[in-house]
Amino acid sequence: MKSVSSTAIIAIVVVVIIVAVAGIYLASRGGAPSTTTPTTTTTQKTTSPTTTVTNTSAYPKQIYIGLVEPLTGNYAVFGQEAQQAAQLIVDIINNELGGIKSMGGAKLVLVTEDAGGAPETARLAAQKLISNYNVPIMLGAYVSRFTSAMAAVTEQNKVILVTDALVDSLTQQGWQYIFRVAPKASAHGKAAADFVLDMAKKTNTTIKTAVVLNEDSIFGTSVANGAVLELVSNGVEIASHITYPYDISDVTPIINQIKQLNADVLISVPYFNDGVLIAKAIKASGLKFAFIAGAGACGYTDPDSIKAAGDAVLYYTNTYSYNPARPTQWNQKVVSAFEQRYGKMPTEGAGIIFYSLMTVYEALEKAGKMFPNDPLSPDHLKAAFQSLDLNDNNSIAAQLYPSGHIKFDASGDNLYPLTAILQVQNVNGTLTPVVVWPEAQPGFSPIFPRPGWTQTK
Amino acid sequence: MISPELLLQNSVDGIFLGLFYSLVAMGLALIFGVMDIINFAHGDLLMIAAYFVWLTSVDLSVDPTLTALLLIPLFFIIGIGIFFGMIQPVLGKEPLIQIAVTVGLGLILQNIALAMFKAQPKAVPYSIFNFSYSLGPLTIYASKLFIAVISIVTMYALNVFLNKTYIGLAMRSTTDNREVAQLMGINTRMLYAVTFGLGVALIALSSSLWMTFGQVQPYLGTSFSLISWVIVAMGGLGGITGVVYSGLIVGVAESLGSLFLTPSARMAVVYIIFFLVLWFRPRGLFGRR
Repeated sequence: MKSVSSTAIIAIVVVVIIVAVAGIYLASRGGAPSTTTPTTTTTQKTTSPTTTVTNTSAYPKQIYIGLVEPLTGNYAVFGQEAQQAAQLIVDIINNELGGIKSMGGAKLVLVTEDAGGAPETARLAAQKLISNYNVPIMLGAYVSRFTSAMAAVTEQNKVILVTDALVDSLTQQGWQYIFRVAPKASAHGKAAADFVLDMAKKTNTTIKTAVVLNEDSIFGTSVANGAVLELVSNGVEIASHITYPYDISDVTPIINQIKQLNADVLISVPYFNDGVLIAKAIKASGLKFAFIAGAGACGYTDPDSIKAAGDAVLYYTNTYSYNPARPTQWNQKVVSAFEQRYGKMPTEGAGIIFYSLMTVYEALEKAGKMFPNDPLSPDHLKAAFQSLDLNDNNSIAAQLYPSGHIKFDASGDNLYPLTAILQVQNVNGTLTPVVVWPEAQPGFSPIFPRPGWTQTK
Repeated sequence: MISPELLLQNSVDGIFLGLFYSLVAMGLALIFGVMDIINFAHGDLLMIAAYFVWLTSVDLSVDPTLTALLLIPLFFIIGIGIFFGMIQPVLGKEPLIQIAVTVGLGLILQNIALAMFKAQPKAVPYSIFNFSYSLGPLTIYASKLFIAVISIVTMYALNVFLNKTYIGLAMRSTTDNREVAQLMGINTRMLYAVTFGLGVALIALSSSLWMTFGQVQPYLGTSFSLISWVIVAMGGLGGITGVVYSGLIVGVAESLGSLFLTPSARMAVVYIIFFLVLWFRPRGLFGRR
């Protein structure tokens, strides 16, 4: 009797498992909203989410755009701002621009998943968006190793990934469906070095040695390497290249090491946490440099870092993939709308999403015109992205971009990257980040070298 | 090539850091020693206290160290509240249940912080201790020196409390043998409440010192919890001495590890030493049980 009961229980458990698995499979196939739900139905195949429509008036009512960002965990500060920016742009596209006009005014629906704190979570988030919503396009995930994990899924499913992660290697993997509007990491490092060298020349400041400091992720390393290469090729000696973990809690040993080197310039690639610690520790130590240049867009010059570090970050610069002060009609409009909605200036995390999502809008419009029968198929979308040549006169996306020009190369990177340099200056008693390079904001100019430093050699 | 001056500098900084770590770990050692409760929310309580420091400093425009005057009594009361509300019901239960309660408390605190303050790190932009001075080849950071002095004074005061007061003796008795302490007439329930409150009050003091040079974000507690456990385990349940020496070892190891290897590998040095100490002396450096 006992053994019969055990057998019965095992059998029941097996049946339950089979039914559960079957149920989940069927639910994921049949329950997911289709991006090709037609407004009028004539002849239409319904077996696949990217349905081939034979009637050009049968465009989708709504198009799901996936967003995977770290909304929790150590990188949540970036992810949450990216989500805010994405929602704003989607609302602008739907309410002010009338949706995707070439697809009958289809509205965009933003669906977001949390990349969490690990690549695996990002991968699962991307998988979930594809399974549940059949998203044709996805954005994310700011952190390069998260994006790498996510891209494996998007590539396999032929989902267009427009990434806001900057590490160079993301577009060097041979992936076919990845695009990046923002300037890549090494461009940031190079820009920081170019700024220092340019200003040194203009102010007759001799720069012979530099210390390069970066958090030790692949992103920090990419940026730092870009700076090192540019400095070395211009005859500057690298006194030391120091790396540290992003979550370091005490930077005193690093500052002690740097103090002994007596270098002219410090190029630092922080995230938010470490940037504040470094700035405060440098101030407390009394360490003097001709200049301290941040690179990689995180830390020092954003409003939260300024609030946290106070005048410890005065005269610091950082490179930005976005120029909030660019005086184009749409850039000013979007910045103002963001400030009104969220009560703060957009930083780079938001800026990259502004122009990336607007580029998505442009690509969807193009796809609707180029391929009216099946605009959302992966290869048609890819072709649409590759055909874009956007400038200030013909697109909103370009107006939001620092260089005003967006066109993709074969690997998916923008052919016309440009980073702006922001510097923290004292503006009427308030510490304010102002754009100082390559073109300064009206009424401002770069302060170089740092006041209080004197050339001794 | 590492110069003798740099080695000395990092050693001194390591000692200052170690004294601070000892203070952070002291609350955990008290709670674990007296109550046998593994408080996994220790670091997260420090994180919440640090947010209080930030809010108070910025709103009242005061130095973060002065916020300790308000926060120590406040967090003592909060600690007692946590004890009666969450810890007392699980006293004597399976260790797994106790762990689950404190882990859950930690997660609640993290998510409250994330919801209220978002993920951006917060720091107090000013402190009267944000300067340094030269002492021969050494650079002495005023904030670190102040923290070290306060840590020493606090731990001395705690030592006097534990050895010269009735409650302190009761705590030490309970640490040695709980059942006999109860038989001797010690009201362990009230003692536990006071111990938990005191442990949390020490966290509040640590956080006000931390914010003179550090910053807070919702996940700050994770690293402090881990470091505190390493110090308590390595020091053993032998009173304050073990925690102090253990903290100093961790601080100096971290500082010198950063110098001789790279900052990324500094904690590897700490954990290797931790492993070796426990390998050769499982009850810790000064453990009596």
